[in-house]
Amino acid sequence: MTDPKPRTDADLGRTLADFSVPSEPGNERLAMETVAESVRGLAFSGENLERLKTAVAEATMNAMEHGNHYRSGVPVELQVLTREQDLLVRITDRGSGPPPTEDGDTPDIEAKLEGIQTPRGWGLFLIKSMVDEMNITGDEGHHTVELVVHLGAEGGK
Amino acid sequence: MEVRHLSVEVRLEEDIAVLDLTGEINGFAEEALNSAYAEAEGADPRTVLLNFEKVDYINSTGIALIVGLLAKARASRRSLLACNLSEHYVEIFNITRLSDFMSVFPDEKTAVGEASGA
Repeated sequence: MTDPKPRTDADLGRTLADFSVPSEPGNERLAMETVAESVRGLAFSGENLERLKTAVAEATMNAMEHGNHYRSGVPVELQVLTREQDLLVRITDRGSGPPPTEDGDTPDIEAKLEGIQTPRGWGLFLIKSMVDEMNITGDEGHHTVELVVHLGAEGGK
Repeated sequence: MEVRHLSVEVRLEEDIAVLDLTGEINGFAEEALNSAYAEAEGADPRTVLLNFEKVDYINSTGIALIVGLLAKARASRRSLLACNLSEHYVEIFNITRLSDFMSVFPDEKTAVGEASGA
């Protein structure tokens, strides 16, 4: 993992962390713990922090698996920013082709239990459930998932 | 960061097989989880209880593994229960609707009491 860069003022707001992790199974935990450390100074309560960590872990897993195909030499890049009353976490892979759609089908556990759907396919659903907004953008060589948490009185979703 | 691979101990409490889970429930956990479940099924228990007391991380692949266990349990008409989940993972069991199909208890004593009809 590259070291998180020092905090700097950016045009969009304050950068709390900017780092990358190799695309190796298990590294989503490294990403989520580094993001959690970077937001320590913000007003997150315990459960809201746990939600953010799950969203970051799932988005990083998707980036490593579907974007970078677990090629360890291809990093997943993460940026943690604040912008006005929002916390933004941007997770970028080197995927090509169209980015994943934000409005994928909600997993149907009954169909999964009946063997009609694969037991997998929870990642995007969990991400969307854990944060206030999820935006996906992409170009020819990158996909970026942006997680947004509103830093209001509740300190998150 | 080192992955804490899952280890599972299986024990019998009357007609309930308790799987004591330790570590992370992720893609690395498949063999350990399925082997332990198969061992538990060997005793033909009426109920299998997953004890999450020493689990600190479950990801979406882990959720899929639990869905797989639940499908096996339903196919053999066994009850699958869960206990000692953290508040966060109780929420995840709720939003994925896992908790609609497997009862979640705050601790083992409550789960065993309920399963035993106490």
